[in-house]
Amino acid sequence: MDFYLGLAQIIGVHTILGLSAYVVMLTGQLSLAQAGFFAIGAYVAGMLTVLAGFHIVPAMLVGAVLAGLMAFIVGFPALRVKGLMLVIATLAFGEFVRLFFFNFDYQISKGGITVGPLGGEGFRQIRFFPENGWTSLDVMLFVWAVVIIVMAALWWMDRSRAGAVLRAVGEDELAAQSAGINLTVVKVAAMTAGGFIAGLGGGIYAHYTTHIEHLNFGVILATFAIAYPILGGLSNVFGTLVAVIFIQGVLVEGLRFMGDWRNLLFGALIVLAMNVRPRGLFDERATALLKGLFTGRGHART
Amino acid sequence: MEDFLFDLIDLVQSIADGLLFGTTYAMIGIGFTLIFGVMDKLNMSYAAAAIAGAYSSIAILAVVPAPAPVAFFIAAIAAGLFGYVIYLLCFRFIPLASPLATLMATVGMLLLIDEIIVHETDGMPQPYPALFDDVMVEFGPFGLRGDLMFVFAVSVVSMAVLLYLIYRTRLGIATRAVSQQPVAAQLCGIGLERTNAMTFVITGVLGGIAGAMIGAAVGVLSPLLSIPFTVKGLIVTVIGGLGSIPGAIIAGLLVGAFENTFQFLRGVTERDMYVMLLLFVFLFLRPGGIFSPPDGRD
Repeated sequence: MDFYLGLAQIIGVHTILGLSAYVVMLTGQLSLAQAGFFAIGAYVAGMLTVLAGFHIVPAMLVGAVLAGLMAFIVGFPALRVKGLMLVIATLAFGEFVRLFFFNFDYQISKGGITVGPLGGEGFRQIRFFPENGWTSLDVMLFVWAVVIIVMAALWWMDRSRAGAVLRAVGEDELAAQSAGINLTVVKVAAMTAGGFIAGLGGGIYAHYTTHIEHLNFGVILATFAIAYPILGGLSNVFGTLVAVIFIQGVLVEGLRFMGDWRNLLFGALIVLAMNVRPRGLFDERATALLKGLFTGRGHART
Repeated sequence: MEDFLFDLIDLVQSIADGLLFGTTYAMIGIGFTLIFGVMDKLNMSYAAAAIAGAYSSIAILAVVPAPAPVAFFIAAIAAGLFGYVIYLLCFRFIPLASPLATLMATVGMLLLIDEIIVHETDGMPQPYPALFDDVMVEFGPFGLRGDLMFVFAVSVVSMAVLLYLIYRTRLGIATRAVSQQPVAAQLCGIGLERTNAMTFVITGVLGGIAGAMIGAAVGVLSPLLSIPFTVKGLIVTVIGGLGSIPGAIIAGLLVGAFENTFQFLRGVTERDMYVMLLLFVFLFLRPGGIFSPPDGRD
């Protein structure tokens, strides 16, 4: 049972991570820094609960706000220039954050033991959940409560004017600009929101694994983050959730018997999927088809 | 005063070593920039393919023993082949209208190449042959490492050959025509796909030489090299100006010198952070890079 609860926690956290990349991707941008924002959220929230004795919720919020702020600072110069510049700037920033935590020591003595991040050794003993008597089930429910809040917020945003503006920029920048949309403001806002959401995810991640280190937040995690919305498609938030369940539940857990070869498969699968379905596994047509099946109309609209 | 002088000598020495090694960054940067120029797309797996080329030469040398120059040659050929394979898998069949899909495919390719290397070598660093690594040319208090000078010489010659190819041959004219106006180039009878494929092969060969030179200068190849070289190659392209070859050369030398200076001042674990800060300084102050392309051309 604990195995499935753990899996549900992983899927939940990765869904938050995927959604953080989803927001940025709605504007047609690709951010490889989501792992970096995730790391900022994880370290800040972990330090606040362990070193400063915060409750997890305010700690996560502070971590997320800081991550959002960093996203704003990174996104602003990169997005002023050109689309592809953001990919480079965010890749560099993600590695920068990882190297920063690789070199980051801040330990204090607490109750006879030293706690806090210690460079390459990582940050051990983030024990908020066990200290406060949360069971695996409580943690799982907490993770999914956050997932549902984030998903609902994004779902609502998608239905509102803000969503239409984001998608307009993503579809055709020139047309959006002609309609009086300030491209930089929209993209930077999406980037900031993405950073905030990734920070939230990082905050939870730090607490359920209880041990984080810089290697957890490398390019592979950043690739996972963008792979979810790309595979799931950008038609709605559920595509990302389905992609996370598929990758984490089926590929990562289901293919354990393949050992080493599983890692090879991930890269190969992305290459294959992009050739076969460049607009994502669940693109507009597939979603319309599914909708048709469930509402009994039988035929897709497009 | 004496100590200060010693530090200064070490600092100048670091900068000199960095400049010599910087030519490898310049080559990787040129590869990124050329592909960006003709296709308007990033090939994220380029540096990984370059390292993979160097790995292939080790694999072949393990079967057929040969001297180091042969290894470098094999690395170049293998990486050229990888370039073509990447073109086929990540660019050829993905519609032009889905830039994100191409980008994502190359990121997948980067992970795939990395994992194949880890799988084949069990993640262990592999020794790589070098030339002139026992030579040391002394200038008063300074010394230039023979292997680094060899790396520098090979890189400069390869870049010169590449510049000749681009600016003086029909193939180069076709490449530049496609990079300026694909439609007009097609109307003039230039095969778009053939030119694109050739660009991938040529940049692949250049990358293979860069990968071999990285192996020769560092002494080992490890899977830990590909991400840093990807990041630094991309930083070089941004600092030099996306699409600019002279910019990539100058930025490569700049990044090499900058990195070695900070390795001397702050240690090896922190040096890459400062290279990334340099990128952000450029993004703020000169976002178009040293040689920014003229306005109005996307």
